[in-house]
Amino acid sequence: MQNKLLIYSFICFLSLIQFSCVPKNNSKKIIVASSGKVESLDPAKATKLKSFQLLASLGDTLYVLNSEGKLQPQLALGMPIISDDKLKITINLKEDIYFHDGTQFDAEAMKFSIDRFRRIGEHKYILGNKINYIEAPSKFKLVIILNKPSSSINALLTSINLTPISPTFYKDYSNKFLNDNFIGTGKYILKDFSNEKQLIEPNTNYWGDKPKNDGINFIGYENSSSLYGALKSKQIDVLLSNSIEDIQRYELNLSSKEKNIREGVAPETQITFISLRTNSYPFDSLNIRLAISKSINRKLISEKVSYNLRKPLRNIVPLIFKNSNQDLWPEYSPKEARILLEKEGFCDGKKLKFPLTYRSNVPSDKLIALIIQEDIKNNLSDCISMDIDGVESATMYDNLSKGEYPAAIYDWTGQYPDPEAYLKPLLSCSEIVENTCKEGESVYSGSFWASKKVENLFQESDSLVGNYRLDNLLKIEKIASESIPYIPIWISSQKAWSQNKISKPIFNGSGIISLSDLELINE
Amino acid sequence: MSRNLNKLFNYSLLKILLIPLVLWIISSLVFILLRVAPGDPVDVILGSGANEISREILRAQLGLNESLINQYFSYINDILHFNFGLSLRTQEPVLNIILKSLPASLELSFFSILSAMLIGFPLGFLGLRNKGERTDYIVRIFGIATYAIPPFWGAMIAQLLFSVYFNISPIGGRFPIFQQQTQITGFLVLDSILSNNIIALKDSLYHLALPSITLGFLLSGIFSRSLRVNLDNTLKSDYVNAAKCRGISKKKIFLNHALPNALLPIVTISGLTIASLAGGALLFEVIFSWPGIALRLNEAISQRDYTLVQGIVIFTSMLIVSLNLFVDILIAYLDPRIEY
Repeated sequence: MQNKLLIYSFICFLSLIQFSCVPKNNSKKIIVASSGKVESLDPAKATKLKSFQLLASLGDTLYVLNSEGKLQPQLALGMPIISDDKLKITINLKEDIYFHDGTQFDAEAMKFSIDRFRRIGEHKYILGNKINYIEAPSKFKLVIILNKPSSSINALLTSINLTPISPTFYKDYSNKFLNDNFIGTGKYILKDFSNEKQLIEPNTNYWGDKPKNDGINFIGYENSSSLYGALKSKQIDVLLSNSIEDIQRYELNLSSKEKNIREGVAPETQITFISLRTNSYPFDSLNIRLAISKSINRKLISEKVSYNLRKPLRNIVPLIFKNSNQDLWPEYSPKEARILLEKEGFCDGKKLKFPLTYRSNVPSDKLIALIIQEDIKNNLSDCISMDIDGVESATMYDNLSKGEYPAAIYDWTGQYPDPEAYLKPLLSCSEIVENTCKEGESVYSGSFWASKKVENLFQESDSLVGNYRLDNLLKIEKIASESIPYIPIWISSQKAWSQNKISKPIFNGSGIISLSDLELINE
Repeated sequence: MSRNLNKLFNYSLLKILLIPLVLWIISSLVFILLRVAPGDPVDVILGSGANEISREILRAQLGLNESLINQYFSYINDILHFNFGLSLRTQEPVLNIILKSLPASLELSFFSILSAMLIGFPLGFLGLRNKGERTDYIVRIFGIATYAIPPFWGAMIAQLLFSVYFNISPIGGRFPIFQQQTQITGFLVLDSILSNNIIALKDSLYHLALPSITLGFLLSGIFSRSLRVNLDNTLKSDYVNAAKCRGISKKKIFLNHALPNALLPIVTISGLTIASLAGGALLFEVIFSWPGIALRLNEAISQRDYTLVQGIVIFTSMLIVSLNLFVDILIAYLDPRIEY
């Protein structure tokens, strides 16, 4: 009895201490959580969504994509003016815009920022050799001279990597990164930075609409359960993450339907697909690639793995970036797959070996592989024998170009909002030998697929604009859908959830939340 | 006595002389294993969309295009000058990263061991006091159960219960999200005491409580079990019986004769536990988003950040080897039965 009393007293004491210690959040700042750390706030170094999210609030770009995916001037005064030979782009800039350090934003600052990215940018390859040089003929006029016509350059100008920075402040960092500070022109000013936590406050001298909140506290948690638990227990106001596991994503979706929280959804831009090594047996045969494509039950995968939250996909370019909503890849049809495999000499006592590699550190990839394996066992067990194997993503990316995997599941999100950002990294090839790619993007993507016709169409599209260009890029996608170097599985989007006391998170066309629109609505 | 001290000095000297050899073996192993392991830091930094030219340029910038033997000698040379290089991923000095994250791990380890002792020792005494009774069995089962619970599971359940359901503990991190912390030494509890900031002290203890008490709870079984067993054996020993015969009081026998001897193995256990926790309690740091050295190591491995992995492994090895050496010398000093 005495022991029990002691134990109860001890528990009560501990609870009392914990309750009395709970720090009170009296500030009106909004707490936004996402996964992982922010390694760098340097636009030339940033590669992760969380850094982009912060930089989009701390800085502005020349153009932004609105939620309908349309280009809108931000620091630019109007749309880019393209010369007749399509080699000169003139952009007039807004005046009376100042950096957080008080210096004025002008064409020289923009030139400094783009040139710096071209020089030291970690992902400078996204610009390729498109830009020859940049001029600032007058204080608020920027001229970009291209090496060859490029219609994707407009979309590239929305890239957060090209966010202008103050040349005065970055004087000593023109050739090196500044990871823990940022001086831009944005709606917020950086107040405190550590890899785990960042604090931003409204820029009172901002040239445009002022933020609707008193500031944002960013926090990073290391795993999906912590993020989910933090939102559930109301320790955070907004959860922004792609790293939430599908079951928790589903529960959050249900919660939002029950109006317990609010859910914001970005345009769908992340595609998950299987890359087939087309330069060697068995996927050097088009019939076998077609058969495998027809044996993938995307609807079942979406239902079982993502609870229908990720849409089955039969294209490689997200719909938001093109002018057609036609599904290009063949439909699920195990019967037709069987006929094709029989043509190739399988199913009659001989089974096709289908080794599929997935990223072991991405839980949904393993589930996709397992669902495909089970579905094939149910419908084509006499034709296909499937082996699945997991490797860590860093290992997979290293080995894809070495041709280690006959078939591999992974995902891709275009680095700028344009169809080309999906087609080129998957299909482009700089050295074609007998319909096989020896050097180029399709080697790095693990398919080794190549087509001279596709290369010609890529070149053509550089000198086209508007719908003509989109039609041209659609032709490339159609060729890919007939040759099947990749099998798209599903498309997913960035999501964010907020407590009911905060307004619903709204994404722009690049998948970035407008943090300045987050507002306390029920204090 | 002086002869004994001389022997102890020689014993310690031999152990100290072995440290560079141990560290050389560890540093060479980590260098080789990282290069043998599949994956390329360039791929992790640039992603799969980069072309070969960009990869080659970055490889050259990071010094990865040098021959392995050159890389190895330059690496050993740097270590000899206590230069751990720059992180391949962030270009930040590795030593800075280590010094920023090590205090978090050490703070968590210290409070975890403290909690383990505070929970384990009273339970050990309680078990022995009620030897053979129901309480003793409960304490013994507790010892085995806490030892058997997988730490990640225990941490997740604690987080779910106290942070999500009862909402009396933060879900993770070291300090409130909405407050800025003042750092002097990096040990937040110590820093708040040094800066005379009671609120910061309360906040840092509040964040430390759940991870350290949970880890301490899981470790407490080892302490309660070993204290109970060792104390039981000591109390049955001849010198305790002799003391009883001489009419020395029970309290004096317990405090002056039995307890110090029973605590000797505990010193070894504590030393080994502290040494293993000095490298960070990885799963705890991941679950509680505790920005310690193990979390950094985990990230560095997944990003194939060779220099950071090498730096952290060597630094923590030095720490563990030093702690082991300290414990060895302490035990040798305290226990006259040890021959050296």
